[in-house]
Amino acid sequence: MLALALLAAGALPSPAFTIADMSGRSLTLHEAPRRIISLVPSATELIFALGGQDRLVGVTDFCDWPAAAKQKPSVGGMISPSLETIVTLRPDLVIATDSGNRQETFAQLGRLHIPVFLIHANRLAAVKDVTTRLGALTGRETAVGPLVDRFDARIRAVAAAVSAAPRPRVLYVLWPEPLIVPGRDAIVTELIGLAGGESITANERSDYPRYSIEAAVARAPEVIILARHGTGSGPIARDQWDRLVSVPAVKAGRVHAVDGNLMHRYGPRLADGFEQLARAIHPEAFR
Amino acid sequence: MIERRRLVLVLISLAAALAAAVAAATLLGSARLSPSDVLAVLTGHADASATESVVIWGVRLPRIAAAALAGGALAVAGAGFQALTRNPLAEPSVLGVSSGAALGVVIGQLMGPAAGVADAVRLTMFGFAGALAAGLAVYFIATTSAGLPVQTLLLAGVIVGMFFAAAITVITSLVDINRLGGIVHWLLGNVSAIPPRALAVFALLGAVGFWLIAGQARQLNVLALGEEAALQLGVNAERLKLRVFVGSALLTACVVAFAGPIGFVGLIVPHSLRMVVGPDNRLLVPGALLGGAIFLLVADTLARNVVAPAELSVGVLTSLCGAPFFIYLLRTRYRGGL
Repeated sequence: MLALALLAAGALPSPAFTIADMSGRSLTLHEAPRRIISLVPSATELIFALGGQDRLVGVTDFCDWPAAAKQKPSVGGMISPSLETIVTLRPDLVIATDSGNRQETFAQLGRLHIPVFLIHANRLAAVKDVTTRLGALTGRETAVGPLVDRFDARIRAVAAAVSAAPRPRVLYVLWPEPLIVPGRDAIVTELIGLAGGESITANERSDYPRYSIEAAVARAPEVIILARHGTGSGPIARDQWDRLVSVPAVKAGRVHAVDGNLMHRYGPRLADGFEQLARAIHPEAFR
Repeated sequence: MIERRRLVLVLISLAAALAAAVAAATLLGSARLSPSDVLAVLTGHADASATESVVIWGVRLPRIAAAALAGGALAVAGAGFQALTRNPLAEPSVLGVSSGAALGVVIGQLMGPAAGVADAVRLTMFGFAGALAAGLAVYFIATTSAGLPVQTLLLAGVIVGMFFAAAITVITSLVDINRLGGIVHWLLGNVSAIPPRALAVFALLGAVGFWLIAGQARQLNVLALGEEAALQLGVNAERLKLRVFVGSALLTACVVAFAGPIGFVGLIVPHSLRMVVGPDNRLLVPGALLGGAIFLLVADTLARNVVAPAELSVGVLTSLCGAPFFIYLLRTRYRGGL
């Protein structure tokens, strides 16, 4: 009888690991993933912050934080990672994003039977969601709560400091040439609002539309925020704005730079980016 | 009879070179498999689910097949356009036909990603329409009472190409920034491992294009003597030209649909072959099929290895070789004609 029960148990499939990704698909793996490749710098940051980096076997060339992430094997860029290198790292899961990776890459991985966990995040609330799911993926559920609480507390504290102040019109420049700005679906737009500003491009379609500099000038921004990309590199093209002396922000000397990697990645450092943003919009609140 | 023996000799040598290129490309890659591992996989001595098997069967060989197909198709299209226009510098990218196909494919891509067989057919048809539009525009702009002068044809090709490139830019200015990277990546010309069934669709449509050109090789030789001479020898020049034009446009569209506009393959390969086998299209067209496959396979193997694990776009490499080659041809051979 016992032998029969054991036999029956053995015939059953081993307990599978099921998780829903953020495109709504349900992924079923044989077991919790042990060899994860991250094609998303934000996810890489979060996995390290959660302490799940032992399961991370591959990252992209853009995964530059924390420093230890650069020690992980790279599979190339976000747009054209090397499929061969991915296969060689024998991943049981690849983490990807619908903003930055390509559909073709997902299709290719699908054909190779490599499960893809898709991240979709364009709201501040998604940070908690992504953190929770990555915690479950890396077996670091216990680290999720403290991380999210710390993050929330910092966001709340900064938001509280600026909540009573008047709300200046803000132009956020994601990329100067062509001018790319945050639209209504961008996390940056939400952050500007929380940081006590009114983004002048908050009603533009999609997440990061191109924008005309004329329209930007016409809306008379009182604060201009230029995103730097990477460590001091990337064109912030400050002089392009300094020439527009009639713009209130330029007149008042309120053209500021923030670190784009802190603003556009939904990892724990987003709280740092948010604080930089709030300090740029409301320096008086942090004296 | 001599010709037939030469044809067999040329094809056997090129096939041997292609086999060598395929072997080299199968051995090289960012996964750094040892030759014995590769051999074990190919001879079925490795577990089908082993990493090595997946790298070879799932990644490397599909990409090798795609590169060889794209190269062969582009070289034959180049040979076709050269015979058709009786202009040695004609080629899909120089004539603006690639840009026309690219606009068609970009419009087709807006309707969804290339995933299955239906998508492959849809993208090729969009590309084909664009290639035909660009090719006809160039033809009508460049035709004078004296025929199709070399310089007007090239200028018309450049201008039409610029027009279609501008139209693509209009679209890329409007798409979401998250999709922009993908479109730009595709526009640079990249070969990737595509699903076998989609590849089969491209191969089939490409075979139709090849047949339209290769089947007319003898008549194209006659056309090279001039349209009047061709007429006297019983060749219907207009019908011949239409057929070869459709074939070349179809070949170009197939490649652009799955690999983007890869330039200059159709210039480099037929010219290099002409230096060896002479101008006979009966040798040149089938030779270009194999020669193009070799050329693009070598270029793509370089593209995926020189900066591994990152990759270069193969279209960038072919243009880096092709533009100087074009200038060389212009300065040495055809100076008198311009």
